[in-house]
Amino acid sequence: MTAFILRRLLWLPVLLFFISLITFALGVYGPGDPLQVLLGLRANPETIERLRREYGFDQPFHIQYLNYVTNALQGNFGYSLVKYRDQPVGALIAQALPVTIQLNLVAIFLGLGIGVPLGLIAGLKRDSWIDLLIRGIVIAGISLPIIFLNPVLTFLFSRRHDLVFAAANLKFSIGPILPMVQGYWDGIFSAKVILPAFIESLGIIAVMTRQMRAGMIEVLSEDYIRTARAKGLRERTVILRHAMRNALIPIATILGLMMGGLVAGSFLVENWFGVPGVGQLAFDALFARDYYITMALVLLIAVAYVFSNLVVDITYGLLDPRIRKA
Amino acid sequence: MSNSENTGGNRWLIGIIVILLVALCGAVCVGGGVLYFLMQPGSSPLAQPAPGFGATPPAPGKQPTARAPVAPSRNILRLPGGTDPRTLDPAQVNDTNAGEYVAEIFSGLVMLDQNLKVVPDIAEKWDVSEDRKTYTFYLRKEVKFHDGRPVTAQDFKYSIERVANPATLSPTAENYLGDIIGVREKLSRKAAEVSGVQVVDDYTVKITIDAPKSYFLAKLTFPTAYIVDKNNVERGGRTWTDKPNGTGPFKLKEYVRAQRIILAKNENYYGESKPKLDEVQFILSGGSAMTMYENGDLESVYVTISDIERVSDPNSPLNKQLFIGPSLSTGFIVFNTRKPPFDDPKVRQAFALAIDRQKVIDVVYRKMPLVASTILPPGMPGYAEPANKLTYDPAKAKQLLAESKYAGKLPDITWTTIGAGGSAAQNVQVMAGMLKDNLGARVSIQQTDDASFFNTIDDPTKNPYQMFDVGWAADYVDPQNFLDILFRSTSTQNWASYGNPEVDKLLDQAALEKDSTTRFKLYQQAEQLILTDAPVIPFSHSREYWLTKPYVKGMIYPPIIIPRLKYVSIER
Repeated sequence: MTAFILRRLLWLPVLLFFISLITFALGVYGPGDPLQVLLGLRANPETIERLRREYGFDQPFHIQYLNYVTNALQGNFGYSLVKYRDQPVGALIAQALPVTIQLNLVAIFLGLGIGVPLGLIAGLKRDSWIDLLIRGIVIAGISLPIIFLNPVLTFLFSRRHDLVFAAANLKFSIGPILPMVQGYWDGIFSAKVILPAFIESLGIIAVMTRQMRAGMIEVLSEDYIRTARAKGLRERTVILRHAMRNALIPIATILGLMMGGLVAGSFLVENWFGVPGVGQLAFDALFARDYYITMALVLLIAVAYVFSNLVVDITYGLLDPRIRKA
Repeated sequence: MSNSENTGGNRWLIGIIVILLVALCGAVCVGGGVLYFLMQPGSSPLAQPAPGFGATPPAPGKQPTARAPVAPSRNILRLPGGTDPRTLDPAQVNDTNAGEYVAEIFSGLVMLDQNLKVVPDIAEKWDVSEDRKTYTFYLRKEVKFHDGRPVTAQDFKYSIERVANPATLSPTAENYLGDIIGVREKLSRKAAEVSGVQVVDDYTVKITIDAPKSYFLAKLTFPTAYIVDKNNVERGGRTWTDKPNGTGPFKLKEYVRAQRIILAKNENYYGESKPKLDEVQFILSGGSAMTMYENGDLESVYVTISDIERVSDPNSPLNKQLFIGPSLSTGFIVFNTRKPPFDDPKVRQAFALAIDRQKVIDVVYRKMPLVASTILPPGMPGYAEPANKLTYDPAKAKQLLAESKYAGKLPDITWTTIGAGGSAAQNVQVMAGMLKDNLGARVSIQQTDDASFFNTIDDPTKNPYQMFDVGWAADYVDPQNFLDILFRSTSTQNWASYGNPEVDKLLDQAALEKDSTTRFKLYQQAEQLILTDAPVIPFSHSREYWLTKPYVKGMIYPPIIIPRLKYVSIER
């Protein structure tokens, strides 16, 4: 087991090397230039040349890359070039990361809370109208792009709607139900979290529902369920204690894999709702060509995924000796 | 196992699950709502914001918050802050967003007053030598940093040396201080000290510049030349602006990234206009500023195009709170005069007459900006009503095109514009359509992101764009800032690759001219020559639209960075 973990961990630096090399090359050779964004129209060639020299951007690629890696290994991931000029990248990420993790956790809980019961019902009521309805809703939810949901849900829930029915001489107002686009982000214990978390949870709901449904259907056809029923157990006991618990195992795996995604913020959701998390930071950094921030975020997300995969594999290995040898 | 076998046994189960599901959704909504109200500032100890790189750790209990209704007794102004400023370091400021805060926290030898005139600030007066190359500034003796330390000439010297230190990485050093002798040398590591700044005594400092330049004082009003505290900078390291120790009318009280910036009154401010507000809160990010204003959560707000119609309606109560001011900027449509067909002035003139700019501004921009007929914006000294207003004239345009060397064989044209998404900016589309209708020109639109765009137009000799649109706003209040920088043949911001020896000669004369009336005349002559050659079409002068609550007095919306909050008071 130790050998297995070690072998997996030894791959990590190799992976990080390639990811960092590619990301760094994209930053250096990609179109646009952070100094150009910083100086905008006032770009005086003398100033550009000076800043390029002082930052070492005039050095050959391998030197720049080596400098970056040397600093990064000492824990210095550079400073923001444009967007938050001179702020250490580490500090910027340290501020954004908790926000994104919190929002993602809310989204995952929402996804579990909605997806698992839906999948359970759909599995129990397989091929009935209720199953079809749930599957239809889930597919619709996952198929609507976030870029569409953001403005539509915001319009529906965070504006006042004046409804006038001229024929009946009726006039009344509804809303705003959720005050999310006024003022700034207030943390997850405010009503502002509901829409972004809900939109982020749609994908999770879909995965959970489908997995739970498939799991229930599979487990319910197992022999031991028939045995349980045959020995006269109450249906509630059969479903909750025998069937559901087994159907939940793959859900746990999916959750494990999602932990890696915790640190990755959604560009679209965070920017639309003004959530000052990793997604917003990455978005700003990309557009400003603030590539030390981009680098650090890419590496962070890579490490998170590697570790969450490792944890899942280790758990599997513990459960199933066949995997350990693979 | 078939479905029907199950149904009878667990109908209750499904029922319970459905109820749980509904309850969960309800709990989330209600719980969120309850928590939302609990989170209202002051009502709950939970209301602690996450610590950011705030200037001071937030004090429990008296947390000022944007949404909070403020007791009338408190003298607090709440403004929309937009996105986070890039920096609060005067040496790093190169946009108005950051400049707005820095101009309140710090100050310099000279400043611009409400009429955009250069007036004494930390320097109480100055002398200019006979050759107009040496300026001697006499500093006020009562000026102190926020921490109480007196400001002397050495502090000014230190601040300039710091900007000129290449390790400071200032993006504005050349543009604003490059005229001072020794600054460029120090920036390129050829000198250790700026020889052009000399401390005569504790309260006298002498600055020498490389040539007589009438706009030099105007440049000194920019944050690059502001005074910073050596101890503050050296002890604070790279993030010293988390706790800036300035000299300005306000101090930084709190900064929480993406949430708020709070400035507090500097009780010991030396200036004649003492700050009257206890606090100014800038609300960063966060959606609809207009809604916040209407809910009474902001004292002032900019008006966007989506609200302009109802605000402009004379019957609206908001109309009485509306302020419209110039912004000292001009939007241009630029022709690359090295690329066919724009190497022929007749084609450029034809294009200029074939676009109905008034219509575009009326329809697409709902009349918010003014139609431009000049390069200099109104409000800029030297601005004169144009003789020739470049009025829309499709017949004349056709005629000019027929006289050009591209008559009947106009090549396809690409108009490059900043933007992303399925459809380009409406204004560009409309104007391309006008060129097609009036001249039969085939203009396709190419969108690009701003980083690539600036990178490309930065080098006029290599710029492949045929035609593009770009705006220019004043950095300092002098016609030189538009005409010399954008149209001198050797300038790097000469986007059109325009070159006219006569214009260059006039610009040289103007730069050296002592008498301002003659000087502005020379600039006007140069402007007329440029407009006739039409390397650009002046398109619009944008305007500032702001709403302000009637109980706020003294609020101004200057088109350029000036310290302005000290003039504001709240009188309910």
